[in-house]
Amino acid sequence: MTMARTVATRRSFLGHSYNLVGVVAALVILAWTLVAIFAPYIIPHPIGDIVDDDYFGQMRQGLWLGSDYLGRDMLSRVLMGARYTVGISLAAVSIACFLGVVLGMLAAVTGGWFDTCLSRFLDAMNSIPSKLFGLVVVAAVGSSIPVLILTLAVIYTPGAYRFARALAVNINTMDFMTVARVRGESTAYLIGSEILPNIIRPVLADFGLRFVFIVLLLSGLSFLGLGLQPPLADWGALVRENIGGLPFAAPAVIVPSLAIASLTISVNLLIDNLPQKIRDRDA
Amino acid sequence: MKSGVLNLVVKRLGIAVITLLIVLFAVFFATSMLPGDTASILLGQAATPEAVAGLREAMHLNDPAILRFLRWLLGLLHGDLGTSYANQMPVAALIGRRLVNTMELAAITTLISVPLALTLGITAAMLRGSLYDRTVTVLSIGVISVPEFMVATLAVLLFAVYLKWLPALSSVNEAHSLTDLVRIYAMPVITLTFVISAQMIRMTRAAVIETLSTPYVEMALLKGASRSRMVLRHALPNALGPIVNAVALSLSYLVGGVIIVETIFNYPGIAKLMVDAVATRDLPLIQSCAMIFCLGYLLLITAADIVAIMSNPRLR
Amino acid sequence: MTDKITNWTSADDAMVENAIRRGASRRELLKLLLAGGAAVAAGGVVLGRATQAVAATPVSGGTFKAAGWSSSTADTLDPAKASLSTDYVRCCSLYNRLTFLDKDGVTQMELAESFDSKDAKTWTVKLRKGVTFHDGKDLTADDVVFSMKRHLDPAVGSKVAKIAAQMTGFKAVDKSTVEITLADPNADLPTILALHHFMIVQNGTTDFSKGIGTGAFVLQTFEPGVRSVVTKNKNYWKSGKPYLDSFEFIAISDDSARVNALLSGDVNFAASINPRAMKLLESQQGFELSKTTAGNYTDLNIRLDMDPGKKADFVTGMKYLVNREQIIKSALRGLGEIGNDQPVSPANIFHNADLKPKAFDPDKAKFHFQKAGLIGQSIPVVASDAATSSIDMAVIIQAAGADIGMKLDVQRVPSDGYWDNYWLKAPIHFGNINPRPTPDILFSLLYASNAPWNESQYKSAKFDKLLVEARGSLDQAKRKEIYGQMQTMVSEEAGTIIPAYISNVDALSSKVKGLEANPLGGMMGYAMAEYLWLEA
Repeated sequence: MTMARTVATRRSFLGHSYNLVGVVAALVILAWTLVAIFAPYIIPHPIGDIVDDDYFGQMRQGLWLGSDYLGRDMLSRVLMGARYTVGISLAAVSIACFLGVVLGMLAAVTGGWFDTCLSRFLDAMNSIPSKLFGLVVVAAVGSSIPVLILTLAVIYTPGAYRFARALAVNINTMDFMTVARVRGESTAYLIGSEILPNIIRPVLADFGLRFVFIVLLLSGLSFLGLGLQPPLADWGALVRENIGGLPFAAPAVIVPSLAIASLTISVNLLIDNLPQKIRDRDA
Repeated sequence: MKSGVLNLVVKRLGIAVITLLIVLFAVFFATSMLPGDTASILLGQAATPEAVAGLREAMHLNDPAILRFLRWLLGLLHGDLGTSYANQMPVAALIGRRLVNTMELAAITTLISVPLALTLGITAAMLRGSLYDRTVTVLSIGVISVPEFMVATLAVLLFAVYLKWLPALSSVNEAHSLTDLVRIYAMPVITLTFVISAQMIRMTRAAVIETLSTPYVEMALLKGASRSRMVLRHALPNALGPIVNAVALSLSYLVGGVIIVETIFNYPGIAKLMVDAVATRDLPLIQSCAMIFCLGYLLLITAADIVAIMSNPRLR
Repeated sequence: MTDKITNWTSADDAMVENAIRRGASRRELLKLLLAGGAAVAAGGVVLGRATQAVAATPVSGGTFKAAGWSSSTADTLDPAKASLSTDYVRCCSLYNRLTFLDKDGVTQMELAESFDSKDAKTWTVKLRKGVTFHDGKDLTADDVVFSMKRHLDPAVGSKVAKIAAQMTGFKAVDKSTVEITLADPNADLPTILALHHFMIVQNGTTDFSKGIGTGAFVLQTFEPGVRSVVTKNKNYWKSGKPYLDSFEFIAISDDSARVNALLSGDVNFAASINPRAMKLLESQQGFELSKTTAGNYTDLNIRLDMDPGKKADFVTGMKYLVNREQIIKSALRGLGEIGNDQPVSPANIFHNADLKPKAFDPDKAKFHFQKAGLIGQSIPVVASDAATSSIDMAVIIQAAGADIGMKLDVQRVPSDGYWDNYWLKAPIHFGNINPRPTPDILFSLLYASNAPWNESQYKSAKFDKLLVEARGSLDQAKRKEIYGQMQTMVSEEAGTIIPAYISNVDALSSKVKGLEANPLGGMMGYAMAEYLWLEA
């Protein structure tokens, strides 16, 4: 048994192998996605209504997850928040990683001026503080959800690029790449069939991490007025606005934090335990 | 090979300078797109058109922005960082002590988080799929899923308010002994370690796993090499490139991104200085801070690039 | 949860202290309070402070560390440029003013000994003798003239340039007498000069980083955006004061962090805490709360010269839609007093107590909106954290609107540049006004036809006439009548909806004594440093 293969028991199903952890993680993500889609139909109270005279109220009949700092129902706000946290973050991280990885591989394979210029440009972009960037975007383009998604993607593309490029550069130096080049393969083939399969796993790990960053930055940008307007709030914003409840262990601040953690941990565990084809060359 | 390495470093530094210039121009452009200027912002609610015009005149803000920026750049070449618009103090004086503070916090955090993260990442990769690996994964993702301000506030509530072991504020100027320093830095460092470790752990783990499944590593195993020898001598050097990049990216956060830690612990660093500068549209201060952040970032990735190139014989 | 402090004003404070002075026992006090309608649970926190304030005698010595809420590189020791509490507190510790407002809102003399005028146009100010600056120089009329004149210089960028503009002439009659001539008669001059910006600095000062003044403390360290440390002025002309040896002032912008710093003992004083933290402080031993309602308010401004403000029915509808009780309860957590859509707060002696606010009436609101034809239309309302609690208020009003079919779109914009870009400009937006000591200042700045900050663009020739009339009159009774009338006019005709006057709560360690509420703001009108002492 190879050292790198002390994997937990994998079962077989439809020609793919999977394991329990991966399945549980996938189910959690699916559950939140469903909540995100159906939220407006299942929330018990409108998210803007003040239903409690008290604030940071405890969990009880009718207010299953307690009340927030203004006295609004936390259950409704958390369910609705799923739309933004799941939807916007997934969209933004997909764009960032897709762009970053494609550009990173291209730069590694092409080399020369293209590589240098692109790397410098993206390094420069990474140096600009994200808050300044956010303010400029609001000032220049106004605010809406698509703008928010693009801003998040732009902020995180350089990091994804840098990591993918570093991986790709390493692969690029290997013998089979030289062979493929000599064969006359096109750049697209080199990228798609030779490099990508070899870096896909670390790249997915990066994807999972970037997803967490974006979930958190989302609330920071909404706070600047980019995208989500009150009374809408994503989970990060819910934690931020209810932070005063922390000394009282109020559900208002604990529940959204747990929601964020459950989503981000599930995404990363799923990535670690993706179903693999049994006849995959590594299995 | 020495001249080769030297060439490499010089070339990289040259590129770094170009990148720095691009960043300075970009930041200048971004700031000029923001509405308002120092005069109107300083006057705040008291801003009437006449008052703003008068103050602008007195502060020499009537010259076009691009001219003022170029003047600043020129001054930079002479080592002069300019004078702050907001309070007429020399920028170098404003930045001085606060930069040192930021560097101290960054250094201590690096010393603790990097070895920790690398160890956890490598061992998790070696024991992939085991309970240890799962635990490390869940914990590291769980920890960074908690927003930074929540980690910091929780730490303060626990250690400063309830247990009263540590001070809630990091007043560096009141440190008179080593114990004081440890107590003052404990919570900010722990908070920052939580925030930046996860990226390093995850990326290290992923990169090492990748190299562990390559044919030559399996070859080494067949030759009878022991596990640790395998990792250290065969797998790690090849994973070094991506690992070092992940470390550089994480550490770059420590220069300009620690605004939340600075706010909650009242730590006088330069992240808050930059935020203030943007709020008051203080051009010389903004540019100087941006330059420092960029230099810090460039230093880190240049080092990362050099290490990556050196570690892969085919790239040298 | 029971509210421990409700409807408690500085008048109640005074009542309790008087009763204690007359020898009332704790039991009699509680009876008094309950009879008066105050809802006091255990009464410990509130009463405790009142008894101590009277019984204790000041003790010299000690280091006092206080945390404010906002600090940046724009922090300044130049009184003319002072723009927020942090600056005011520092200036109050280093400089003095000609006059100041005491806890009842009455103007008292400080550096001046007397103010005389026959026509409220030309004033003769006699200065106190024997006052010296920190560097040993004597205070003379030239210093006062210099301090006043510089507000008129645009290069200085004084925050009170507009108010100072009415002072057209300054003359140093002799070493301790100054003559001030006004453009128009204004009976409020002594009160105006109690504003923090009119602190007296040394003749010819251009570099304010040394903070040389006549005040209770001398500057030791000043790092803008970080902290300031001042030490006791041994030659302070108010003999016996200050009690503290040194005073350090920092700012912690995060609400929770500020309270935690107090709880952990890192600071003795946390200014302006979030009302939701009060529950936490009340459950811990050794801390007290001090509440001030100075007249600070956040208002919803509807520009009367733009759509939809042009339609009078819309404005009336909005006034009925705003649920003032709910706002005070949920957004302010009980820390506020109901506002009646005009700027003169109950802390001011000219407040018109007969003017009742419009009650929350969604049906009437709906009726007016339907008349204006605006039901169902999307109406943007701009709010920002720059205007305290405006986002919470906006959300409450939005929810009330949704119940009757009104679509109010809350647009949260960054605090960055808010006063520049949105305040006074957007058709419907929130503003935040700091307390001013006189109705004349408030009306001149906010409601006169040519007022620089006329948030709703309210224009009325009659109002302008009344304003000038009240300003120049030395007859207090007549002024009260006119100001009462003007308050009614603003409440009914202007487009500024003022749901509440916001109370400010400071939290302090029980070891800190001497703090009293003041109509100019929290921290004793920002002048607390020279009045406080630390219990041994």
